[in-house]
Amino acid sequence: MTATQDAVRAPGAGQGGGEAEPRTINLIQGVTEALAEELARDERVVLFGEDVGARGGVFMATAGLQERFGKHRVFDTPLSEASIVGAAVGMAVRGLRPVAEIQFADYMGPGFDQIISQAAKMRYRSGGQFTAPLVIRTPSGGGVKGGHHHSQSPEAYYAHTPGLKVLMPSTPYDAKGLLKAAIRGDDPVIFFEPKRLYRAARGEVPGHDFTVRIGEAAVRREGSDLSLIGYGGVMPDLEKAADALAAEGVSVEVIDLRSLVPWDREKVLASVEKTGRAVLVSEAPRTANFMGEVAYVIQEQAFDSLLAPVVQVAGFDTPYPYVQDKVYLPGPNRVAAACVRALNY
Amino acid sequence: MIQPFTSQPIRYVAEDGVPLRPLPPSFTPERLRDLHAQMLRAREFDRKLITLLRQGRTTFYAQSSGMEATQVGLARSIRVGHDWVWPYYRDHTLGLAMGVPMFELLSQCLGTNSDTSRGRQMPHHFAARAQNFVSISSSIASQVPPAAGNAMAQKYLGTDEITVTTFGDGATSEGDWHAGLNMAGAAQAPCLFVCENNQWAISTNLKAQTASENIHIKAKAYGMPGFYVDGNDIVAVIEVCTHAAEWVRAGNGPALVECLTYRVGSHSNADADAEKSYRTREEVQEWLGRDPIARVEALLAHLGHPVDSAERAELIARTHREVDEEVRRAEATGQPDWRIVFEDVYADLPPHLREQERELRAEQTAAQNGGRA
Ligand SMILES: Cc1ncc(C[n+]2csc(CCOP(=O)(O)OP(=O)(O)O)c2C)c(N)n1
Repeated sequence: MTATQDAVRAPGAGQGGGEAEPRTINLIQGVTEALAEELARDERVVLFGEDVGARGGVFMATAGLQERFGKHRVFDTPLSEASIVGAAVGMAVRGLRPVAEIQFADYMGPGFDQIISQAAKMRYRSGGQFTAPLVIRTPSGGGVKGGHHHSQSPEAYYAHTPGLKVLMPSTPYDAKGLLKAAIRGDDPVIFFEPKRLYRAARGEVPGHDFTVRIGEAAVRREGSDLSLIGYGGVMPDLEKAADALAAEGVSVEVIDLRSLVPWDREKVLASVEKTGRAVLVSEAPRTANFMGEVAYVIQEQAFDSLLAPVVQVAGFDTPYPYVQDKVYLPGPNRVAAACVRALNY
Repeated sequence: MIQPFTSQPIRYVAEDGVPLRPLPPSFTPERLRDLHAQMLRAREFDRKLITLLRQGRTTFYAQSSGMEATQVGLARSIRVGHDWVWPYYRDHTLGLAMGVPMFELLSQCLGTNSDTSRGRQMPHHFAARAQNFVSISSSIASQVPPAAGNAMAQKYLGTDEITVTTFGDGATSEGDWHAGLNMAGAAQAPCLFVCENNQWAISTNLKAQTASENIHIKAKAYGMPGFYVDGNDIVAVIEVCTHAAEWVRAGNGPALVECLTYRVGSHSNADADAEKSYRTREEVQEWLGRDPIARVEALLAHLGHPVDSAERAELIARTHREVDEEVRRAEATGQPDWRIVFEDVYADLPPHLREQERELRAEQTAAQNGGRA
């Protein structure tokens, strides 16, 4: 089965030639382009979920795709996440490359059992006789005045489940390249899309076909005094905090994990060994936050390099509050303050 | 005697206002006028909320225009404050008709200090203790199994209360929906399941949602009667829902009512282009022609008690004044401050949250003093 994963059924996926110029797009366009190109490249790819067809998804990530690829490739499902994920598992086992959209990460709940009991364990429990190479795309995170059922960051639940790969891009380049890698890969992938960056994050993508390797972090800027590490919706805040500190003469290295499972220990450890300080940022609640794992590995593997305790900035251990969402989200000031704490230790 | 499992929705009044069968004697002109006033009030509330949205004073709203007969009719079929209701997010008209003060609804939509839910939920997700109107969850169908449990508790405690839970047609595809009906059926719990079938779940219509002919026949599988009613005919809604509610109350087990209606507006403000992207203008026009408010007006005219236009205009103006006044009162209470982040997470504040609260307090104090946190 793995041998066929890169089989090109329909050559020339839009930008396939390699001659086209790079273009500046936003994050959601990165998602749409990845989907369009993979649908064109491999006829085993099918796309479905609630409202993804005629409507083009509530965030318009799939806009125009049903028109272009037909209702058998891009379709609406009944309103049931258990059905969507469960059906994706069945299709994947039978040889398709399903890409399912869950309308909001908050609504993966009804599909949770299918994700953790079926998708995650198919390869292991069958001794590799069956696999479930599916992708679940879902908008996640806060900052859009959505209240607690449209703002949560549930990545830790999935990162905690062996068998799943968990990704969260923060740039159009990564959104496009990682999603394409996810669709071509042979494992079930949970692909979180930070919804507040859908239109806010803009950046260049190449004019040719490309993928981003799963499991590789990106160093957004190099620095020598402190490693500032995050992923997803908080990345612009990390950049702002790094700017503010740079103005005060502090050299901050900014790392975007972009892949949580597996995550890039080498890059993170090399950075912390260089700077001696680590500040870890995410917007998910603090307890059992994924960054707790990163902190653990840093203290175990880079203990001798540390000049200060690892500092974590996270959401509070409360449900996401509607009115006070600005207070809930880390934000550049809180991130910068945490850096100052690590620097002054 | 009202029959379950009819092939056509039960109706009492035709679209032109002419009764299709003798009206039950309780539908006096006074009562019909009161129902009409309540529906009109709800519709104008919708209109005003859209304005508030455009002004950026609230951020989410799901209209119930077109569905007034279903929601007002249901409110009039149960014992308000005695029975328990597990509503869904489109039910503000149900709430208003159950007597939830407009001030409370608006406070919640605006996220002010006067919001009894303390600004934590997104707009349009009320909770009203006095009416036993349980906090609305955005997560589709997640209220259905708890409603079954609420009814099981009522049975266990030996009350004569019933539980009512409402949901859209889309919700009937969720596993939770089936789990809830099955549980209530197995437990013979006094639960009334009410489907507000407005025929669209965002852009997915009923045909794409289920291969069932309709929703109410699904009741058969769970061992309960399924009633099918014209949800734009308020007389029919009240007659059928009252019958079903009292049948449930009498200890016969749960029942399902499907109200066939239509949302004439968009799904929510997130979907203002409904007409262009997935529905036809013709379909919407056809349903505008079945307007539940116009039907009651036609019925009243037929009975020789027409609503005159000055009276109608005054009703509308009064609602607009009421909304303006309550918005002003609610906004005057200010916005809940940062402390609401930590309260009500648990019964008592555990140590880790106490610590996080301290951190935030320090940050807020620093910010107030002009310094960077
Ligand atoms: C579990 C879950 N999945 C998806 C959504 C997103 N969503 C919100 S409303 C809606 C459509 C609901 O349709 P229906 O149940 O028919 O009610 P209506 O809005 O038509 O009244 C969807 C898919 C959600 N809120 N919860």
